[in-house]
Amino acid sequence: MLKQIISPLIFLIFAWFVVSSDDAKTIISGIAIFLIGMHYMENGFKLFSGGTLESFLEKFTNTTPKAIGVGFLSTAVVQSSSLISVIIISFLSAELIGLTQAVGVIFGSNIGTTTTAWLVSSFGLKIKIAQYAMPMLIFGVIFQFSKHNSYKGLGSVLIGLGFIFLGIAYMKEGFDTLKEGINLAEYAMSGYPGVLVYLLLGAIATIIIQSSSATMAIIITALASGQIDYINALSLAIGANVGTTVTAILGSLASNRNGKRLAVAHFIFNIITGLVAVLLIYQLRDLVEFLAPYLSIAQNDYAMKLALFHTIFNVLGVLLVTPFIRPLVNYLQTLFCVKEKGRGQVKYLTEEVMQIPASALEALRKETIHLYDKSLEALVHAMNLHRSEIFSEREIPELVELSNETIHVDINKVYQEEIKNIYSEILRYSSQTQAYMDEEDNNKVYELKLTARNIVEMVKDIRELQKNLNYFIKIKNNYMINEYNKLRREIVTILRRIQQIRDADFDSAEIMTELEVLKEKAADNERKLNQGIDKLIRDNKIDPKMAASLINDVGFMHSICKKLLKVAAVLWVKDKEIAELGDEYEY
Amino acid sequence: MSIRSLLEQMDDFFDLSRKKQRKKREKLDKLIVSLEEKKAKLKRKIRRETHKDKNSKKAYNLCKEFKAISRMIKKAKKRADLISKVDCC
Repeated sequence: MLKQIISPLIFLIFAWFVVSSDDAKTIISGIAIFLIGMHYMENGFKLFSGGTLESFLEKFTNTTPKAIGVGFLSTAVVQSSSLISVIIISFLSAELIGLTQAVGVIFGSNIGTTTTAWLVSSFGLKIKIAQYAMPMLIFGVIFQFSKHNSYKGLGSVLIGLGFIFLGIAYMKEGFDTLKEGINLAEYAMSGYPGVLVYLLLGAIATIIIQSSSATMAIIITALASGQIDYINALSLAIGANVGTTVTAILGSLASNRNGKRLAVAHFIFNIITGLVAVLLIYQLRDLVEFLAPYLSIAQNDYAMKLALFHTIFNVLGVLLVTPFIRPLVNYLQTLFCVKEKGRGQVKYLTEEVMQIPASALEALRKETIHLYDKSLEALVHAMNLHRSEIFSEREIPELVELSNETIHVDINKVYQEEIKNIYSEILRYSSQTQAYMDEEDNNKVYELKLTARNIVEMVKDIRELQKNLNYFIKIKNNYMINEYNKLRREIVTILRRIQQIRDADFDSAEIMTELEVLKEKAADNERKLNQGIDKLIRDNKIDPKMAASLINDVGFMHSICKKLLKVAAVLWVKDKEIAELGDEYEY
Repeated sequence: MSIRSLLEQMDDFFDLSRKKQRKKREKLDKLIVSLEEKKAKLKRKIRRETHKDKNSKKAYNLCKEFKAISRMIKKAKKRADLISKVDCC
């Protein structure tokens, strides 16, 4: 009951405060506009990068220093550590990078986020940036009308920047006029009690606003207009860093275990960094004073000095924690080790990247491969074979002939328990992610959905073939067993070749040629098999009922082979133009 | 001029499809050249192989490869022509 009253009451007090005070209204509007800007910019980069940001993050993170560098650069460019975190979580889930690299990127991202302070203290305060905000907003809106995601993204980035600039201008204006009424600097506190009080204030402000960049912008504008004391501003900056960990942890609650592990790494890093910065605050202030002249920072330019302090203590944090990255990663790996989910669970479809087209597409492709691997198991067992045998060096005819023991596998059960859930999740994820994609990406998703359907249909086809295969093994009709061995050989040949294609480093043209050759041979073999059946009927080796079953199963076999080749073309021929030289999708 | 038509014109301006089509065309041209080379090599191999044994498995495989490559060349040429036509319009 009390809870129900408190929230609206706080909201009403806040509303009264905003309406009654012109200065507060201007400052809070500035914060709100700044936050809208951050939101637009983040969403813009999701569309704008078109996979460039993702491939940059994926390719250049093989060593920890590189990962830190990449984390710094990418965050400095996109001005959003949360966007970088989301992409890194998706990479971890897709096993594109390891936890050590991911933690490195997060550390680098912490340094990258300090560039916001530099931007605000340099451009934001020294130039009348509101003048630049207007053209940015105008062109941002124009670009938004484009059909293409890249231009839409660019439009959002421009709108975001425009709003950020506008927000800073409002905050600055608000603090400047506030100075004429009340002087907040009168509440300055000295010594360590002051450090702790302002640290707490900085953390609380960041938890409420949910953005350390916005808090930093407030601190810098307030400092520049003389509303807060310099040493208190330093404490507020440390507090903002600590407060952002709460935001990260809250954000990770709905995330997968990779997201949670990274949030813990972020938390540990920021707490250690915060502790060191608090303990050495006066020494770090002196270091800033020493370095400032070398960076052409004026003696009274406290906003720039704050930006320098912010960068120094984050770099210090990285230097202190990086040597312990291995034990940290080992510890993180022990966390959130929930029991292995059922076999039919998705592995790569992370909700966080749903709005990032390039990452969502990669997640869908990987999940479709996962579905293929699951179905492959069912396919192989239904033919009374094992995966290890199929992918061995053994000659296929010999392998098939010797595998005449029935493997009791209920394909219906496998489908219901292991395959159907992955398939339905692929369909759900596809439909949801398509809302954020342009026409070209939508087509790719559509192709993946059809590929998933092909995979599922292969399982249904093999179910039909399995019944007759096991029946004829049971009644020991050698002519029929021989014919069914031919069918099995066909499928195994294609499965083995596809596996070799997956394992080898072939280019798209080579893979496509290989698949086309296999298709040519499969069509020829189907003809030969049907001719063989005709001969068996003529020679009275099999009766018409057997022939009917066999002819049907040749059809199923050929359908499986064709689908396998189509699936392989979509999943492993990366060059779209070359993949289009294969079969047109006949759906 | 209405805002709608202005936006449509702007979309045409922003549309990079022509550049993309040209890139596609170049890629296809390169592919056709490499496939033609492969086809010529295969032709020589098939001649040699059929001379030795017309019904050998190797000759059969080479013939299938030849047929698949010929089909790919045909498709690639068709697509390249289509792109050129769209580009001309």
